[in-house]
Amino acid sequence: MKLLTYSLATLLAFSFSTTSHATSIYAGKSKAAAVCSQCHGIRKTSAEAPFPPLAGRNEEYMENALKQYRDKTRVSDIMNNIAGSLSDRDIDNIASYYSRLKP
Amino acid sequence: MELKITTLKKSILAASISLLFSANTFAETDTKHKMHKLYQDNCASCHGADHGGYLAPALNSETLKGRSPTALRTLIMTGSFETLMPPFFGRLSDSDIRDMVKHLQSTPKLANPAFTIKDMKASLKVYIKDESKLPNKPTFKIDSMDDIIGVAARGKYGRGNGSEAVFINSKTHKQIGVIPTVTAAHIIEFSPANERWAYVKTDTAEIYKVDLYTMQAVRSIKTGWNGPGIGISRDGKYLMAGSFVPHNAVILDADTLEPLKQFELEGIDPDGKMVSSDSGMVIGTPYADIFAIALENAGQVWVVDLKDDFPVTKIKNVGRHLHDAFLTHKGKKLMIASYDDSIVTAIDLEKREIIKKLPAGCVPHVGGGAAVKVDGRTLGFGTNFGTCDKTVVSVWDLDTMKLVKQVPVSGGTESPAAHANAPYVAVDIITKDRRARTIQLIDKKSLEVVKTLDVGGHAYFPEYSADGKSLYVSAGYAGDEVVVYGSTSLKKTGSIQMESPAGIFSRGRVKYMTRGLSPDEME
Repeated sequence: MKLLTYSLATLLAFSFSTTSHATSIYAGKSKAAAVCSQCHGIRKTSAEAPFPPLAGRNEEYMENALKQYRDKTRVSDIMNNIAGSLSDRDIDNIASYYSRLKP
Repeated sequence: MELKITTLKKSILAASISLLFSANTFAETDTKHKMHKLYQDNCASCHGADHGGYLAPALNSETLKGRSPTALRTLIMTGSFETLMPPFFGRLSDSDIRDMVKHLQSTPKLANPAFTIKDMKASLKVYIKDESKLPNKPTFKIDSMDDIIGVAARGKYGRGNGSEAVFINSKTHKQIGVIPTVTAAHIIEFSPANERWAYVKTDTAEIYKVDLYTMQAVRSIKTGWNGPGIGISRDGKYLMAGSFVPHNAVILDADTLEPLKQFELEGIDPDGKMVSSDSGMVIGTPYADIFAIALENAGQVWVVDLKDDFPVTKIKNVGRHLHDAFLTHKGKKLMIASYDDSIVTAIDLEKREIIKKLPAGCVPHVGGGAAVKVDGRTLGFGTNFGTCDKTVVSVWDLDTMKLVKQVPVSGGTESPAAHANAPYVAVDIITKDRRARTIQLIDKKSLEVVKTLDVGGHAYFPEYSADGKSLYVSAGYAGDEVVVYGSTSLKKTGSIQMESPAGIFSRGRVKYMTRGLSPDEME
């Protein structure tokens, strides 16, 4: 419900906004469902998985981490590959989505 | 002297070479053993203990011939999106993954590894010694035990802490109990004779006897290496379990889980070839003390009488590659799917003969089946994987055994759900793209798709609550929740979190035999 209220609010806010860099939690949600959730889950990771959960984590932290993984300034075989194909906007959307999810 | 030294040198060289060689072979067999164990502990529950494939593709020297080791390594690391294959990055070391790829590409399919009655007896575990001391009513609040819905949660890795049978009160949509199953739970059967007992079978063929009153496992036994097939007799006294690996089935005492008789599954297939066969569905029926079991590869259905030494009547030429089935007409008729002939064969269990072979779309998979009474007719609904062009749900008149209609749906389907009090027959769309998130609802009267619900994840295995008021759907892998809808409003009314939920089983099924029929049909 909170998520819905927020999404309505964002929709409203951005319908008045002229910036081309608006984040979309909808786009974030679909990217997360298609890519990130495979390892990190949606609300939580598998009880058996070695991957950190993302739901409810700090948005800015996730944005920075994803950009570092993409730019290979932070090294991880698997994350460098997966984040390598993400645009700035994808990253903002994903971070926006996950940070607003309740774990 | 010099000669001697040379000889010595030579012999030292020879000795060290042979030492090196044996160390090498030792290391090789060592890796082989390690990889075999790693395969059994991580891969076998889906890919088959014999490397022959099960829920997931066969992994052996034949099937992986010519595949790029790098591509295979990446696939194991990241998992495969839109399938159950999880990422093993961080769970297996990089060197283990590399060794595993080599191991898989050099190991042939194993020949039907044995699992005997002796192995079964040795695996019997008793968690509650004296069942008579258990409380004689539920330890939680519930109007009727029929309101219980069980969900087979696979767990992301098909094993470990996420693998469990989750029981829910279908009126409150709240979880009432969890039974950890070590490996992926696949099928849940409820005793028709005593409401307190349920049986959970896993993909590695363990059976857990579950006390629903106290929500705990009281006993367990391993009946094979792989295979979900399990049925219970109408009096609740016997279980029959069938395996994919190895090719056999067993009758157990439902009370103690002691194995009573093992059956070797083999026979002459519809093409006249003698074959050893996987077990398909196993089913008990409310009309007689019998089990019916499908021999997938032999294309036969065996009817086992629950008397004396459990004699078998074999019904041959049922269809190529049989799989699952459902009952109609008080349990006297069995509708069984044949993948390779794309038919559903109607069998008269009383006369023990084939009634008719009906068209069933493309690669039929009837799941738990569904049948509804509409305007005096009993209609059966058949889902199918639809791996060719035709994506339809077949509707048959089960009285006349005629095809009524093939309802076009948006993709392949795996399981239908129906209820006497619900207006729609729900089918899960499983085609591997965005459609996999959805289920479609077919109006019972018009036999048209009237609504598509976006459930999320890989939505499958719809099931109605016993009162018909709620529709439960697994949001499956990537979804990690079971979603509940009002059966008429089709509005979301609940969500229960769990890891990779799959099959959903209402205890109400024991009352109406096949989903969609009214309990009155059983009188």
